Amino acid sequence: MPHGQAAALEARQPIASSSQRLLAIGGILLIVSGMLLGDIFAIFILHPNNARIGEAMYAAAQLVPLGDAEGIVQHFMAVGGFLENRGTKVAAHSHIIHMGYIALLLAMIQPWVALSPASKRRAAWFYIVPAALLAPSIIAIHYVGKAYSPFEHIGWASIFADFFGACLALAVFIQLLGLWRYARSEGRETLSPAYIGAGNAASRALLLGGLLLLVGGFLYGAALAAYKDFAAAPQEIDILKAIVANAAAAQQSLLDQSFADYGQFLKLRALNIAAHAHINEVGILVLLVSFVQAFVQFSDNTRLRWAQLMVFSAFALPAGILLEIPYGIVGSIIADWFGFMLIVSLLAMMFGMLRHTGADDAAAGGKP
Amino acid sequence: MKAPQQVLIASGLALIAFTMGFGVWYAIFDEHQTLDAIGASLAGAFVHAAGGDMAAAVVSLESYAALDREYRYEVHAHGHWGMLAIILIIMGLVFQRLGLSPPRGLLLAWVLAGSAALFPLGVLLQIGPLLGAGKVLAVAGSAGMIAGMLVFAYCLWRRPQG
Repeated sequence: MPHGQAAALEARQPIASSSQRLLAIGGILLIVSGMLLGDIFAIFILHPNNARIGEAMYAAAQLVPLGDAEGIVQHFMAVGGFLENRGTKVAAHSHIIHMGYIALLLAMIQPWVALSPASKRRAAWFYIVPAALLAPSIIAIHYVGKAYSPFEHIGWASIFADFFGACLALAVFIQLLGLWRYARSEGRETLSPAYIGAGNAASRALLLGGLLLLVGGFLYGAALAAYKDFAAAPQEIDILKAIVANAAAAQQSLLDQSFADYGQFLKLRALNIAAHAHINEVGILVLLVSFVQAFVQFSDNTRLRWAQLMVFSAFALPAGILLEIPYGIVGSIIADWFGFMLIVSLLAMMFGMLRHTGADDAAAGGKP
Repeated sequence: MKAPQQVLIASGLALIAFTMGFGVWYAIFDEHQTLDAIGASLAGAFVHAAGGDMAAAVVSLESYAALDREYRYEVHAHGHWGMLAIILIIMGLVFQRLGLSPPRGLLLAWVLAGSAALFPLGVLLQIGPLLGAGKVLAVAGSAGMIAGMLVFAYCLWRRPQG
């Protein structure tokens, strides 16, 4: 099938071509895997690790007045291991979800990628395979270490992760090349994919809500940076200096107070970053969901209600995270509840899409 | 596809490819070395304190703070380039629903694309000697994105039928 004909089909039906199907289904699987892995890591690794890091640092501080340098180094090596374990899990969780988002967007721009269908299919595989292998490579960094590595600072798992990252950069560049060929082609058709022109109230509510969330995320990030730079925000370095000084002077009660301050500082930093990140992540999710509203087969009012619930939950989830600062568990419950509401509204939209495919099948006389 | 859409989608894809390349370069040549140095500085501060040398302990802590700041800014730039690129592509996909005139549409697209490229660059520049210029770029890029997205949202709001 020539490109123009294939592109027209891709624009009319969102998963018409094999490259679109591969990118869309692969993207959704990547996002779901990333979310699932995030939950598992949070429960079994991230939270227990935070406690272990604090305990190891506290144990190292107890050895300062004894002058036990070797013991201190041992504790800090343990801290390094815990941090690497946590850092690689967080990086894997974040990368896999973002690779999924990018895959979905690549699926959407396929009508404008002027390559032959076979090249587009190969290009899609060239994106999906490294995207799926990147996260396991990042996770393996902690377990493989530097065993048999030819380099001083990086091990084989890092080398593979970097290789897959380079493949992904190249895969995106190939899509860009296809887009450039489309822009340069003479007498090109002006395609307007069906998922873009939905124009219904639900799609509009999600687009507006997602954009406002992202603006909110930007403003929040800017306010955080300004607070850190210009206001009398507590600085990590000052607390660490107090810890070292109190440990050296064997002032146990002051040392305990310094560690309590440090714990509070880390908690505030983590919650602020989590709020900022969730505003942006959920904002992008809401924007992406706006594209499928043309295929959610409910009445206009019902579709709009689910969209409004999703937008409201998307604002309330990060608000709940921030409420954890003054109200602790109450804020967590609010964040979890609205996270659950987000899932419910996503599921409702999925049922709407299933109704749409059912109606399509019925219209075709039940034939595939 | 209209010209503003081309600007947004092509710059989004280019930024994604660039930040992936930056991530690979950073992971090979800088990240692990920086992380090793961060750990060594913090452990060194405690070891110096255990040896009674508080001045050296403070120097180690200052080094830890500088390296930790460098690490966070580098990761921040890498992550934000990727996120902003995704936002550019999404906005490119729905741009036709804004109903802007071609010159205004193109101006908005370039403001958004330029801001998305410059904001993380400004963050990155704050690590080295160009701290002042980095702050100016970061503030300008951030303001450009906020203003561009608000204009985008206003135009969508203004056209109920899309």
